[in-house]
Amino acid sequence: MSRAALLPPVLLGLVVLLLAQMAGLAATALLDLPVPGVVLGIVLLALLGILRPTRGVLRAAEPAATPLLAHLQLLFVPPGVGILLELDTLAANALPLALAVGGSFVLALVISGLMLQALLRRQDRRRGEAGGPDAPPLADGTDGPGRSPGHGSGPSAAAGGARA
Amino acid sequence: MSALYELPVFGLTLTLAVYLLSYGLYHRLGRPGLLSPVLVSVVVIATVLQLTGMPYALYLEQVALLTLLLGPATVALALPLLRNGRALLASAPAVLGTLVVAGIVSISVTVAAMVALGADESTLRAALPRSVTSPVGLTIAESLGASVPLAVVLTLVSGTLGAVVGPALLSLMRVRDERARGFAIGLTSHGIGTSRVLGESTVSGGWSSAAMVLNALAMTVTLPVVAHLVTG
Repeated sequence: MSRAALLPPVLLGLVVLLLAQMAGLAATALLDLPVPGVVLGIVLLALLGILRPTRGVLRAAEPAATPLLAHLQLLFVPPGVGILLELDTLAANALPLALAVGGSFVLALVISGLMLQALLRRQDRRRGEAGGPDAPPLADGTDGPGRSPGHGSGPSAAAGGARA
Repeated sequence: MSALYELPVFGLTLTLAVYLLSYGLYHRLGRPGLLSPVLVSVVVIATVLQLTGMPYALYLEQVALLTLLLGPATVALALPLLRNGRALLASAPAVLGTLVVAGIVSISVTVAAMVALGADESTLRAALPRSVTSPVGLTIAESLGASVPLAVVLTLVSGTLGAVVGPALLSLMRVRDERARGFAIGLTSHGIGTSRVLGESTVSGGWSSAAMVLNALAMTVTLPVVAHLVTG
């Protein structure tokens, strides 16, 4: 670790990320797995980060990961520009695409939001009861004390949404 | 004109400069969802290519550096997953249940709309990964044999939709829990939606980015099976 500290952190991080990607790609190719190599790379790095002895690997990746993730969008500009070649397909299928994207977006958003909110409320209530009779019914046990995301911030969040 | 765009550094210079300008504009205008830097950059650069007659293949060759960085950037998604995963782990049954139901809804609405309105199979395949964060969605599109640019653009549109109307729609439906709001946005509009809700609250932002990565992992496993079933 002390020796690693002497290395340029961004380059070291990039090498860690590349190695994780390579390991994923190699595993997919060698074992003929149906899962893309990059996705295996995510899983591999996450596993290394969870296990205590290898946690340093994740910390080493951070100096490269943070700037890459902050401007992840930049990396989609080149494939996005390729839409130029697909304008005919896009125009020919405009209506089904709009309906598929718009419809699945709205339904998935609303259903997942309502469902998770209901499930979390039930869970919080149950935990509140288990925690003691004087625990507030909707107090949140997971995101830190003194916070009740369901209620305290509702109005401000709603206001933020209204502004959009 | 061709003498200019045949310079090996033209594509990268153009891309970085346009991205920086649209990034600056986006922040100066108070981050309007509709003007996300990536969307503006794609439109401006596509227009430049159209006007100069630069072939897309040549442009792609000149920006190979960016394409190459996409791999390590995707692997880096492990970090937000771990950083925000612990809070979600405490609510694992609720989170996983929602993930599965939302996935089923999203896929079946997409397939139903495309099949009912007679879209062709290759377009359907490109529409499937639209809720998945672009780096993974791009890989999925490749493995489905779908058009990558089309898949990427549909993903960007979905993300922009989430950033523009997502929070208001959730408020309208009385979803006030910050965790549920973040999760729903991350699930449907990945990175672009996540950066929008991060401005709302850090709790929402954390749940959103964890949802984004979880959804990407789930869809990677599910979509090839769905594509096989639907298009044979």
